Amino acid sequence: MKIKSYSKVLSALAISSLLLAACSNDTEKSSTKEKKGKDVEQVDTSLFPTKTTNQGEPIDGGHLTYGLVSDTPFEGILNKVFYQGDPDNQVITFFDEDLLDTDENYVFTNDGAASYEISDDNKTVTLTIKDNVNWQDGKPVTGADLEYAYLVLGSKDYKGVRYDEQMALIEGMEEYHAGKADSISGIKVDGKKITFTFKKANPSVTTGLWTYPLHKEYLSDVPIAKLESSDKIRKNPIGYGPFKVKKIVQGEAVEFEAFEGYHRGAPKLDSVTLKVVNPSVAVKSLENGDIDVASISADQFDQAKALDNVEILGKVDLAYTYIGFKFGHYDEKKAENVMDNPKFEDKRLRQAMAYAINNEEVGEKMYKGLRFPANSVITPNFKYNNKDVKPYEYDPEKAKKLLDEAGYVDTNKDGLREDPDGKEFKINFASMSGGDIAEPLTNYYIQQWQEVGLDVQMLDGRLHEFNSFYDLLKKDNEEVDIYQAAWGVASDPDPSGLWSRSAAFNYTRWVNDKNDELLAKGISEEAFDDQYRIDTYNEWQELIHEEVPIIPTLFRYTTTGVNKRVSGYDYLAERQYKWFNVGVTEEAK
Amino acid sequence: MWKFILRRFLVMIPQLFLLSIIVFMMAKAMPGDALSGQEINPRANPAELERIREDLGLNDPWYQQYIRWASNAVQGDFGISYTHKTPVMDVIEDRLWNTVFLALVTLIFTYMLAIPLGILSGRYNDTWVDKTVTGYSYIGFGTPIFIFALIMLFVFGFALDWFPSGGSVDSKVDEGTFAYVVSKINHLILPALSTALIATTSTIQYLRNEIIDNKIKDFVRTARSKGVPESNVYSRHILRNSFLPIAAFLGYEITGLIGGAVIIETIFSYPGLGQLFLSSVSLRDFSVVTAIVMMTGFATLLGTLLSDIILSAVDPRIRIE
Repeated sequence: MKIKSYSKVLSALAISSLLLAACSNDTEKSSTKEKKGKDVEQVDTSLFPTKTTNQGEPIDGGHLTYGLVSDTPFEGILNKVFYQGDPDNQVITFFDEDLLDTDENYVFTNDGAASYEISDDNKTVTLTIKDNVNWQDGKPVTGADLEYAYLVLGSKDYKGVRYDEQMALIEGMEEYHAGKADSISGIKVDGKKITFTFKKANPSVTTGLWTYPLHKEYLSDVPIAKLESSDKIRKNPIGYGPFKVKKIVQGEAVEFEAFEGYHRGAPKLDSVTLKVVNPSVAVKSLENGDIDVASISADQFDQAKALDNVEILGKVDLAYTYIGFKFGHYDEKKAENVMDNPKFEDKRLRQAMAYAINNEEVGEKMYKGLRFPANSVITPNFKYNNKDVKPYEYDPEKAKKLLDEAGYVDTNKDGLREDPDGKEFKINFASMSGGDIAEPLTNYYIQQWQEVGLDVQMLDGRLHEFNSFYDLLKKDNEEVDIYQAAWGVASDPDPSGLWSRSAAFNYTRWVNDKNDELLAKGISEEAFDDQYRIDTYNEWQELIHEEVPIIPTLFRYTTTGVNKRVSGYDYLAERQYKWFNVGVTEEAK
Repeated sequence: MWKFILRRFLVMIPQLFLLSIIVFMMAKAMPGDALSGQEINPRANPAELERIREDLGLNDPWYQQYIRWASNAVQGDFGISYTHKTPVMDVIEDRLWNTVFLALVTLIFTYMLAIPLGILSGRYNDTWVDKTVTGYSYIGFGTPIFIFALIMLFVFGFALDWFPSGGSVDSKVDEGTFAYVVSKINHLILPALSTALIATTSTIQYLRNEIIDNKIKDFVRTARSKGVPESNVYSRHILRNSFLPIAAFLGYEITGLIGGAVIIETIFSYPGLGQLFLSSVSLRDFSVVTAIVMMTGFATLLGTLLSDIILSAVDPRIRIE
């Protein structure tokens, strides 16, 4: 689950990068491409190593300082059921975890705190929690704890947004959610075992099932509506992860100590300090050893690269940037997308616009190589990404040809093309503000479209602030013809939430029968057969590529800096267990 | 005097009421709400978002929301922050003390610097001392705080490593101990000094100009001709009168600082009100936004009142009836 963050900083802070440049002795100009990761099977993702190279023996009593890079304090809602911002999630990662581990494709494995089994008809999932899995107060983690999480998530008093469609598929869940039942009939608990019965088999269960328990015994005396504001969540949280919360300085820092009873064994570090660092000083703090681990933004990447004491790890983020065309509106009554705007109905026009822009250069020049052309809307860290679909390559001649064919020609000789009826053809481009690159990037695209003769203008002549931008999209404002946005995608490969006929998030309002069919196939019972699912999504991606309802523009790397004294850090490990293996091989400084 | 103060307090009620309506309407006029951040979360079910909006009453017309909010607010309940999931007053309280301490230390530093410098440059006007001080205060006036604070941070926080580079306290020390207090102060010095060093301009200039004006006033000439020693002329006659505007501004200064120093707080990762305000606006956490505006509005009214009271206390010619 990923919520795209957006810039809240005063643009004034941009100046910090100048200062950083001035402060660091930037002598080494090595290309990042020289560093090849070990993980070569997924070609796209190997620009950076993902694990620390330090092979030394961790010292006893080691202490690590983790920099939570954020320009605001963390909110302190320290529970996965309730938290909202990513900073809180980073805190939770140290002391709590999900019951099931995942592999590199985000599919559940049996290596974690629990193992799972799916029945032959694919409708029943049984989780068995391992015997040595205990809460940090010594009480065992049981099936009832996981059931309690579902009872909270489905409750009327729950004000978060995590009640999702996968949950609604559990038998009796909708009845409970509607307040018609006191319990969920499809969930059966037997000590350390818990069984879920689904109304319908859905292969997304192997990636999307909620497996984060709540400590029922500890929390059940707090009314559900009060849980998120209670001290038991905010000040004295109890998890079953590798570290225990020792002390919290609200919004600023957390002190952790090792949890010796951790089910995978005692962690290699004795203690961890997590503290919030402002993005403008993150690299400086890494350099002088104040912090050992911190994420690095594209702005600061060059400075971080030059540091001797820091290793840079990177991975492809679960996100894609895209340019979307507006095809219609969302009919709230029918809960359905309706295509009633013919402006972009000719797919040659859409393809031409895709050929006209050079994303290779955008990634290289504007994002310093930290972004690269996207070939699809399924991110390349999934096996479901169709490697045979290639990104639209920059080819202005082809774009012009396609436009000519489609009848978009310059009839009044003003250098800009008219539509097939000979009328002026203007395209309004909506784009979001935030960060230094937003405006030059938007202008760059506009310029490239103008080069093939399309009259594209920034909507209202300016960028739009995040909330206003999504307000325009959501309400299908008629002024918006095309827009640039990004999606963070979940670890579940099913794209229905963004692409189906009924999806409110399908902001382009594009509907297509083949699309409906393939999306349904992707979550059908047959799709429990992985090859079938891969084939289905490959076909779906070909469809998207051919129809271009959106132009996928960029995939992105996220990078993190790790002090060279740190060992065992794995940036790819999504789940919390990554902290258990981490050690330090020498004292700080 | 008491009557006056009471009257001023009574006038505050309609003022705050008006402020609250304006703030509330403006907040509601912003596009989006506390849940729009979730609009881009593909796992968030749009129907669920609608249900939560309905539950929170975000779909009601603004005046209904306003009445609901206002009737709670007069009882001191500003609602729940959607982002922080906790009562607004708790969120604010966490930050308020940080901001108050920062404001106080900043104020002390500012006066510690500005008063001696203002006196020096007023007393020895047009000498090199005066020119240096005036030069400094103009540079301070012209320096943007975000650059200056970053330079201070890099010099004293990183290069020299004299002060911590962020936060309000070292997380390793325990609350209530002496080390805790020391750590708190240690974290305050750099941000406070950064603000103070360039916030001295107005105080220096006021003081300097007042002193220069007073030097040639009749009562000073009288004192000199009576044979009062020069140092007494300054301390008894000139300075007392010159401090009037400074004293009057104290009330405003305090409220200005309570509002929170957004930039300083952001640069030094210092969790205070200014930062909270900014992030609440961009996350559309309306309950926090309105509460902070109301609080600072109240503080401003209180500050002006305080200034008036100080003025009447130090200047016998001014009487409040």
